[in-house]
Amino acid sequence: MTTPTSRHTPAGTAAPHDWLLDRLSLYLRRAPDTIDPTVPLAEYGMDSVSALSLCGDLEDAFGLEVEPTLLWDHPTVESLTGYLCAALPGMSERLR
Amino acid sequence: MPQSDFATFTELLRTRTAELADQDVHIHLRDTRGGVRAEHLTYGELDRAARRIAACLQQYDVARKPVLLLYSSTVEFLKAFAGCLYAGGIAVPAPMPGEAGHGKRLNRTSAVLKDSGATVVLTETTGAPEVALWLARSNRQDAACVVTDASGTADPADFRPVAARPDDLAFLQYTSGSVSEPRGVMVSHRNLLANQESLRTVLRTTGEDVFGSWLPHFHDMGLVAHLLHPVWLGSHGVQMSPLSFIKRPVRWLQAIDEYGVTVGGGPNFCFDLCVRRVTDEQVASLDLSRWRLVINGAEPVRADSLRAFADRFAPAGLRPEALYPSYGLAEATLVVSGGTPGTPHTERLFDQAELERDRVAGAVAGRAARTLVGCGRPVGLDVRIVDPVTHHELRPGSVGEIWVRGASVARGYWKRPTESVRVFRATLNNEESNFLRTGDLGLLDDGELFVTGRLKEVVIINGRNVYPQDLEGAVRSVSPALTFGTGAAFSVEADREQLVLVQEIRLAGVTDEGLRSVAQRIQELIGKEFDIPAGNVLLVRPGTVRRTTSGKIQRTAMRELFLQGVLRGEYEVLTPDVRALVRADDELLGEDLLRPEPVEGVRPW
Repeated sequence: MTTPTSRHTPAGTAAPHDWLLDRLSLYLRRAPDTIDPTVPLAEYGMDSVSALSLCGDLEDAFGLEVEPTLLWDHPTVESLTGYLCAALPGMSERLR
Repeated sequence: MPQSDFATFTELLRTRTAELADQDVHIHLRDTRGGVRAEHLTYGELDRAARRIAACLQQYDVARKPVLLLYSSTVEFLKAFAGCLYAGGIAVPAPMPGEAGHGKRLNRTSAVLKDSGATVVLTETTGAPEVALWLARSNRQDAACVVTDASGTADPADFRPVAARPDDLAFLQYTSGSVSEPRGVMVSHRNLLANQESLRTVLRTTGEDVFGSWLPHFHDMGLVAHLLHPVWLGSHGVQMSPLSFIKRPVRWLQAIDEYGVTVGGGPNFCFDLCVRRVTDEQVASLDLSRWRLVINGAEPVRADSLRAFADRFAPAGLRPEALYPSYGLAEATLVVSGGTPGTPHTERLFDQAELERDRVAGAVAGRAARTLVGCGRPVGLDVRIVDPVTHHELRPGSVGEIWVRGASVARGYWKRPTESVRVFRATLNNEESNFLRTGDLGLLDDGELFVTGRLKEVVIINGRNVYPQDLEGAVRSVSPALTFGTGAAFSVEADREQLVLVQEIRLAGVTDEGLRSVAQRIQELIGKEFDIPAGNVLLVRPGTVRRTTSGKIQRTAMRELFLQGVLRGEYEVLTPDVRALVRADDELLGEDLLRPEPVEGVRPW
């Protein structure tokens, strides 16, 4: 279930961004294009159970150990993407 | 030796650990970088560690005094719990301070430290820095912090056995009560042994059963049913951390398969989580045919959750009759009622309008119906349905407060004598005494207990009880524009139980953008401090939140107004499910027809 399934571009920030939107659209039960990257995810009903689920996904997909408080420190898609790009310089290759 | 011969849980522990020295009592599954690592604890090791810890505790004079237990590992927790009983102390399990709420003001472990008055805190090596720092920040440097898994703590040979009596307290269970006013349920050895006997009777457990859980060890269902019941039976349990379960629900099911777990469960939400997050491939790789009791308790049991779970995992060999709804609470040690193992649970359709008037009637075609799941028959306890105002027993076919009486009803709330008398020693019909008032509403139908709701206005989300006054206090602290406003927190059923926060705001000089920012900060704060989603926030005009003449917030009335669709915010955020429930008419009528009708002088449309 943690294998990304769609629309991954090979380089740059687009890949983590799309991977994230895929997962978030599952947890928030809404289409990826309705998630504004600057709006706090809590406003879309993201709860602590979904936030922890996302942590599990990150560990499974990228071997990235993250703190359970990840989403409190990075509450929007924009800030999460920035964090992931910094934490995973080689992320786009592994995604392919 | 049969369990009924033991006068205290300590005696039972000492006998079991001698009889079964080489057998496993507990397996803790720890998440590591390399995967899951299993840590085994045998009965013999448990006894040696407990004697060593008890010898150490005896230097602190803990007999009949509370000892706080702060652990992540259930192996270390179980040793400390046993050590505490060996030394004659009262075990007080609580979450690690860092996991007990992020804000200092609302930290549950700090509240438990203060309320219990514990002067000795036990922890493990990995938790010691966190606990020491927390004690210093709490200005409790006077409290002794003992690291129980460090070598050289004490010599097991120095342990001097303590003679405990059946009515001495074994532990304090702090799951009830708000964070601002925590309540420690006093569970005696007699209570604990009686409830263990009830668990065996209702679950038909034997020493052959294997238990599997992800519930926290400081949770009543985690401690009494999943950690202590295996010890009482002379069996063993497998345990993973709540965090590890939430991250990957499939790990729990994999453990059930791998270790041949026969009994294990949790609150309703954990079954929904498994249904949503376990993939078809993972289902295909699981064998759940040995799981004979899938216990669903600790939060309202939902028929559609049971059905979805049974359907989803039928291909893995899960039998539908394994699903096992039950009812219990910490004030009764744990279990109050449960079904008959191996037979399907009961579901019944009731007329919704009648239920809302506290009457019981079967569903009628053409009228709204509500499906209720039966929580089985009372076990070892006398259960009555009572008018919560007059304290008279109600006729069969009525909904009322569930009152229970018997040996596993706990001794009261720690250091709260007046409240303990009111809650634990209520008098029925002016003649029968010593009933526990559960605060839950329900009915008995042909001897089967159905829980319909709650008398107290507690909000239960993701298996956790949250008190509205705690939420309302936190919300008010977000902005000066809220300080003098009143708030009401309550929950509504929309797909699942969801939190709604209504808060009065001083509107002078606040822009729309300002309102939105306040709402966001409320959501963020509630998420951080309570770990529950605040999906629905309504900022309303001053005077909107109804209060009684004595100033008590009328949360039930506010909930009704909200559900009728007449309570509206100057600014509001709603989750899609809740919006569909309370704003369904907007599209038909046009939103401006209903807005901005003030809530004062509500019209029932």
